[in-house]
Amino acid sequence: MSLEKFVEDFEEAVEDVEPGSLTALTKYRELEAWDSLAVLTVIAMVDAEYDVRLKAEMLKANNTLEALYAQVCG
Amino acid sequence: MMTTAAKFENQQILVVGATGGLGASIARQLQEEGARLILAGRDTEKLSALVKDLECDSVAVDLANAEGRVQLVDAVDALDGFVYAAGVAPIAPVRYLKDADVDSCLNLNAAAPWLLVRDLLKKKKLNSGASIVCLSSVAAGRGTAGYSAYSASKAALEAFVRCLALEIAPKGMRANCIAPGMIETDMTEAAAERISDEALAEHLKAYPLGVGKPSDVAEATSFLLSEASRWVTGITLSVDGGYSIH
Repeated sequence: MSLEKFVEDFEEAVEDVEPGSLTALTKYRELEAWDSLAVLTVIAMVDAEYDVRLKAEMLKANNTLEALYAQVCG
Repeated sequence: MMTTAAKFENQQILVVGATGGLGASIARQLQEEGARLILAGRDTEKLSALVKDLECDSVAVDLANAEGRVQLVDAVDALDGFVYAAGVAPIAPVRYLKDADVDSCLNLNAAAPWLLVRDLLKKKKLNSGASIVCLSSVAAGRGTAGYSAYSASKAALEAFVRCLALEIAPKGMRANCIAPGMIETDMTEAAAERISDEALAEHLKAYPLGVGKPSDVAEATSFLLSEASRWVTGITLSVDGGYSIH
């Protein structure tokens, strides 16, 4: 598990995001592609790839991918 | 004139999935209407509490495997009613569906009720005139992102019940589904954890009559189990606050 891999996984989950365009400091909730389906997909991705069950409110409580990754790592 | 308490007098009814929100509400309703209940569920703690409250029989069983189904069918006497209210609802877009989620949906939501009914019929544990009610979902007929495995399993259940209804009609038996919309239960609360508040609020707008209560489904189940629906079979009764009429 690494932050770099997490950012890649996040990019893959949220379609319509240019690969390599996101960084650890990206404020994911400000992405154009960020909608209810993106929320659902990221939660499912974290469950499938990291075996961690995120809640939708956790995605709201964090701003950057780095912060979200820290939440995933627990 | 029959009182509510005598509606199911002398009738033995098995409720599978009794420890879930809908199953428990159905069990309470049937108990008030005089049924002799047998409750089956996986959560032994919840089952014990419910059994103590309703003063009825129970079988703690995991229907994910054949042993559980055999155990349940062997434990019951001939039934006048069978309600299948067990199920799982994993939420994930198709790209991130887990094998285990697909397996559990198809197993618990579809195969388990089929095989239970098969075994009840083969062992002649359904009385002539018995009524079978399976809980489906509005998701069986309408697509919702994230619900593919759940929707597919419920659609399979409805198709099964239509065929079953034809086969058992000569014995005066009936089989129907109920398709609830969004109901305030443990399962919908768990789903709400995976869905944003905005998405949930948007989804709720599709319910002209608002969110449903477990008692709404319990009343419909009681109707389908009773003599009042004697000429109703093979249908899926929508109990969804108007969701499916859009």
